[in-house]
Amino acid sequence: MSIHISIIAPDRTVWDANAEEVILPSSTGQLGILKGHAPLLTALDIGVMRVRVDRDWTPIVLLGGFAEIENDELTILVNGAEEASQIDRDQAQRDLEEMTVKFNEATTNKERIEATQNLRKARARLQAVSA
Amino acid sequence: MYRPALLLALCAAASAFQAPFLSSSSFRGASLAKGVTPAAPRARACGPMMGIKELRDRVTSVKNTKKITSAMRLVAAAKVRRAQDAVLKTRPFSETLQKVLGGLIQRLKKDNFDSPLMTERAVKKVLLVIMTGDRGLCGGYNSYAIKKAEGRIRELLAQNIEVDLVTIGNKGNQYFKKRYNVVNSYTIGNSPTADQATPIAQNLLATYLAGDADRVELLYTKFTSLISSEPSVRTMLPLSPTGIEAEGDEIFLMTSKDGSFGVERASSGKVEPQQFPKDMIFEQDPEQILSAILPLYFNGQILRQMQESVASELAARMTAMQSASDNASDLIRDLTRQMNRQRQAAITQEISEIVAGASSGAN
Repeated sequence: MSIHISIIAPDRTVWDANAEEVILPSSTGQLGILKGHAPLLTALDIGVMRVRVDRDWTPIVLLGGFAEIENDELTILVNGAEEASQIDRDQAQRDLEEMTVKFNEATTNKERIEATQNLRKARARLQAVSA
Repeated sequence: MYRPALLLALCAAASAFQAPFLSSSSFRGASLAKGVTPAAPRARACGPMMGIKELRDRVTSVKNTKKITSAMRLVAAAKVRRAQDAVLKTRPFSETLQKVLGGLIQRLKKDNFDSPLMTERAVKKVLLVIMTGDRGLCGGYNSYAIKKAEGRIRELLAQNIEVDLVTIGNKGNQYFKKRYNVVNSYTIGNSPTADQATPIAQNLLATYLAGDADRVELLYTKFTSLISSEPSVRTMLPLSPTGIEAEGDEIFLMTSKDGSFGVERASSGKVEPQQFPKDMIFEQDPEQILSAILPLYFNGQILRQMQESVASELAARMTAMQSASDNASDLIRDLTRQMNRQRQAAITQEISEIVAGASSGAN
């Protein structure tokens, strides 16, 4: 009665387990997946993915990538992933503030692109530990 | 792994060590135990005869150095094994990625997809990423990579193209920072991880997308076998769709045949592009999905190239330390023979003196 999820980062498999429900941070908004979903391919933003096993929701930070669902197999390829339990809330808060400052100070194109990415990562991290 | 002091000692030991091998003549006084700096190589024939005691000391010191070089060889071998495990762990990622990417590209083939990462621009400035090792004592590994990079830089400058550098690995950074414009530098370590590769990939992508460079080239050392690896230059950005499709996956495997270490290259063959089911929902435009996947692909490639370079470095170190140990054995043999010859000569002389004395007494 469940979907099988594997989250794969470039150098390791981060998560390989079953779950009943998944909410993905797709690049066009949140996307809920239940068992029996039609085959689907979606791009993922930097954001928080939530996995439900029984009644427990586990938030996982995804650093951009894509997801594919076929026959209740959910394969997620990402640049990186972090479980919320590994994130320190105060640290995340500080990082976000630091990144916001950097973002506002960015002058060149390159700095702006990098700062935007880092800001979104910091925001996702904080979001994962807050909820 | 190494404390700096120890490494320094090792470097001194081995440079003391290699000099005479290059000139294939003997040297004197480079004793590791006493911490004496390497003496100038001196040809055995022209130098004064060394005494038995001196010879014995030298044999001891060469033996010590040999212990170090063979230990370093074993350490490098163990690291090759670890590097190999790391490569195996990237398989699920690269295989799935290649499958989906191949499928998407096939599907998009009819339309002209233009992702900024795939668009060729007029090239005014190139960002050259150079991968070398962090440390020396690995034969010609670093100098080959540096030489190749120098060649490429000159080629580009001759075409009036500006070059910025990013170095991965300390040796390259030390060399290039005095000579060219190094924008960023990283260390490479012993087993590169995604945590290392991601910031580098992100930085390169940002540089490219911001228009600070019109092409990103990468110099890495392709691992072919234990005794040969070649530095090669490859264009990373813009990505070419044909390159993505045609690529098979190659990995290196550590073997231990006949009690000696070896490394082989194994190809896992080409991954077939995935056939998406007809009713597959594309949540976004396939083009948009593609532009989300391409950075992943780029990231994976950077990681892969780093691992490849590290494998080449370790293999080069294994080979270099192997030949250093072999040379040490030769040297020990020669010195021991010389020592025995002198010992024998001394004994012969003593006997003949006694005999001469005895016979003159008898007369």
